[in-house]
Amino acid sequence: MSGITFLLALVATGLFLYAYTRGGNLHWKGVRTGGRMLVGMFPLLLAAFVLAGFLEVLIPPELVRTWLGDDAGWRAILMGSFAGALIPGGPYVSFPIMASVFRAGASLGTAVSFITGWALWNTGILSFELALMGPRFTLVRVVVTSIFPPLAGFLAQLLVGGGF
Amino acid sequence: MQKKTTIALAVAAAILGVVAYIQGGWSLVWAGIGRGAGIMTSVALLILAAFTVAGLIQAVISEKTIARWLGRESGLRGILIGGLAGALIPGGPYVYYPIAVSFLKAGADIGTIISFVTAKNLWAVSRLPLEFALLGPKLTVTRFLVTLLFPPLMGLAAQVLFGNTLLIGERGKESS
Repeated sequence: MSGITFLLALVATGLFLYAYTRGGNLHWKGVRTGGRMLVGMFPLLLAAFVLAGFLEVLIPPELVRTWLGDDAGWRAILMGSFAGALIPGGPYVSFPIMASVFRAGASLGTAVSFITGWALWNTGILSFELALMGPRFTLVRVVVTSIFPPLAGFLAQLLVGGGF
Repeated sequence: MQKKTTIALAVAAAILGVVAYIQGGWSLVWAGIGRGAGIMTSVALLILAAFTVAGLIQAVISEKTIARWLGRESGLRGILIGGLAGALIPGGPYVYYPIAVSFLKAGADIGTIISFVTAKNLWAVSRLPLEFALLGPKLTVTRFLVTLLFPPLMGLAAQVLFGNTLLIGERGKESS
């Protein structure tokens, strides 16, 4: 994991330098924006991590493996997609929760369908989308995205996760 | 919204805390909290770096740049540029949906807007560091590669299936 930290620090440095060349104190503005976001999100992060911690000690791994593991096949991928759709909030909430389930023994396909379901079927933003974009756009969006979370899980399991 | 989510999560955590207490007493409660704190400290540096990157991306890429790019793009080019814009634009639904509305008003195609919205959710560059940090490289890379073609595909599907009739009477027409 320290490799990723290093990589990210490198990306941050590159962006910082680029922002510096753009002038107007953009580089410090970016760092401050990031800091403010982190401070603002901290209670949310804390709650999400404590929740994830409880999930880890409470969910029996054998239950996860039976229902969401490699041997559960299609059923697990469908369940992953729907579970992802029901997880509220942004990535700070959903990723720690998904990480707990994945560590407990969910298959790669299930985890991918979980993330994709959260990203595309997210029920929490539906009302907002309806209000802003109107019912027709929302309907089109729902229709064209409908098959993709299970498809993503299926492809991930087939190509990388060792098949069914 | 964020406050509500925090409260909802805290309530959910508290309920699970009670469940843990019933199942294993205080020791299980502390084990859960300790586990959460353990995960959090193990990714603390990563989170710090991820937020710095997200903040810098926000500073470097303005919403105006994206809107200028996309105003009247259409067809396949619009779908691709819409996807790229979605990948680059930082922020949650309260940022990108208002921008999508402005595309709608500017007369962008439905395919362009669909690929923008879905790329925002699947390609999101500023979210990737956090995904790496919390879910690990294998899951993140697999997830990203598997969904790589989805936003343009969905944009194309929307354009082909619903491109002609749908946006008439939509908010986009109000301005014209």
